[in-house]
Amino acid sequence: MRTEGLKIKNLSKAMNGLKIVDRVTATFLPGRITALVGPNGAGKTTLFHLITGELKPDMGEIFYRKKKIAGLPPYKVARNGIGRLFQDVRVFENLTVFENVASACYSERSETPWFPFLHIKGLRSFNRDIADRVMFWLEFGGLADLKDTPASSLSYGQQKILAITRIMAAGFSILLLDEPTAGLNPVMIKRVLNILKKIIKEDKSKTIVLVEHNMSVVTEVADWVYFMNEGRISFFGRTDHVLGDQEVREIYLGL
Amino acid sequence: MNYILHLLIMIGIYMILSYGLNLVVGFGGLLSLCHAVFYGIGAYACTLLMMKCGLPFLPAILLTILITGICALIVGFPALRFRGDSFVIVTLGFQMIVFTVLYNWVDLTRGPYGIPGIPRPVIAGYEFTTLPEYLIIVWTFLILIAVVLFIIYKSPFGLALKALRDNEMAAEGLGKSPVHLFLYAFVISGMTASVAGGLYATYVTYIDPTSFTLDESIFLLTVLLVGGTGNRIGPFVGTVFMILLPEALRFLGMPDAVAANARQMIYGLTLILLMFFRPQGIAGKYMVR
Repeated sequence: MRTEGLKIKNLSKAMNGLKIVDRVTATFLPGRITALVGPNGAGKTTLFHLITGELKPDMGEIFYRKKKIAGLPPYKVARNGIGRLFQDVRVFENLTVFENVASACYSERSETPWFPFLHIKGLRSFNRDIADRVMFWLEFGGLADLKDTPASSLSYGQQKILAITRIMAAGFSILLLDEPTAGLNPVMIKRVLNILKKIIKEDKSKTIVLVEHNMSVVTEVADWVYFMNEGRISFFGRTDHVLGDQEVREIYLGL
Repeated sequence: MNYILHLLIMIGIYMILSYGLNLVVGFGGLLSLCHAVFYGIGAYACTLLMMKCGLPFLPAILLTILITGICALIVGFPALRFRGDSFVIVTLGFQMIVFTVLYNWVDLTRGPYGIPGIPRPVIAGYEFTTLPEYLIIVWTFLILIAVVLFIIYKSPFGLALKALRDNEMAAEGLGKSPVHLFLYAFVISGMTASVAGGLYATYVTYIDPTSFTLDESIFLLTVLLVGGTGNRIGPFVGTVFMILLPEALRFLGMPDAVAANARQMIYGLTLILLMFFRPQGIAGKYMVR
């Protein structure tokens, strides 16, 4: 199982002469929720950008399923099973909740323009299968009642849950969640955390990595923590160990 | 009566154009200013295949679709590296280049002299010459193309384009390749425009490059934005509105001295008011930014 995780080796990225990510080495294991914490500007989101291909690293490698994925374009990284929740949510605003999730369910092959013409006979059952899958995930996220609502009409919290549901429906094995609870009220935070716990409980092959500033959230769900500061991983270990460390408390929590 | 038939034929041709453009503008969210390029290439390719190669209408149209598809691929590949304003400017550039080629490649296109005497379509030995016959052929093509496009609009491909339009980064994060999907849309849109070009050329039996200028591309974009994009009804509403409005203004009974200018101004004012009160288009839900 250990080799199935996402491994980052010596990853570096500089922008405008500033080292944003500096020789980061980390392993994210399946069946585990790993939190990436650290002050603003520590390079956490940039690290996500590097993994998902939005930025190309200057140096270093990323391994997943024995494949090197550093420098691949984002859509290829996604096709390798790595999905991401953006800090600013990014739902498809003009699409309904149902369509948002459906867009994640289609395979690359079914998204060619000629697909419906080559599968005229099986199209009805294909659409039914997709609709069933979408409904399954909408129930999972608790959004089934809102399925025909345009995503732009949802509250911010609902949009976050929709975005999480969307990457779940896409079947990614690695979920990179950038501040999944930021800007949410306590009720919504609880819903998101329950969803995360449910994901890991039901499917041990999933790997969840989250960037999070809310320490009570980290303590509640994370098994493992990487503490980042000035582009580097300065501590890592079990959640209680890292968050209990005096230096971490000084740098980050100001205690 | 002939006047009404002529309007219906032109509405048919413009509906083919706007339904095709809808895929790029409405679904992909990319404002293309070079749709008239593919309309023009289609008109010239079909004409030359019929007159110089002696092909009958149907094989000529099929070959025209193929040739224009390749041209759209050549234009789309570099153009689709850009988004937003840059994409608009790049398509504008291609519009100018192709117009200049059509205008100056005199050996092939006869340039500004145009090509007169284009033969009427002959299908299975039957020549379509009168207006009612031509109406039938145009609307048959329109229905065929609309059916194909409606299936595409509704397909996973159509949804993926809308996802890319709404948020390209998030869509790419779900495994959708912007390069491939946008290119497919661009090529399909170009291919449909070429059919309209072939139909237009054999209808008016004379073409010259001035029918395929930037003005025409802007007009096509206006048709779509006025009608509303990203759905099935918008292009229909836009085409009918934009073709019939100037015709309707003829019947206002204004004095001859000012009629032409006044009509243009009312036409312009109507468009401004429309965008003011209904920026998403008459039948649109989505606003192109």
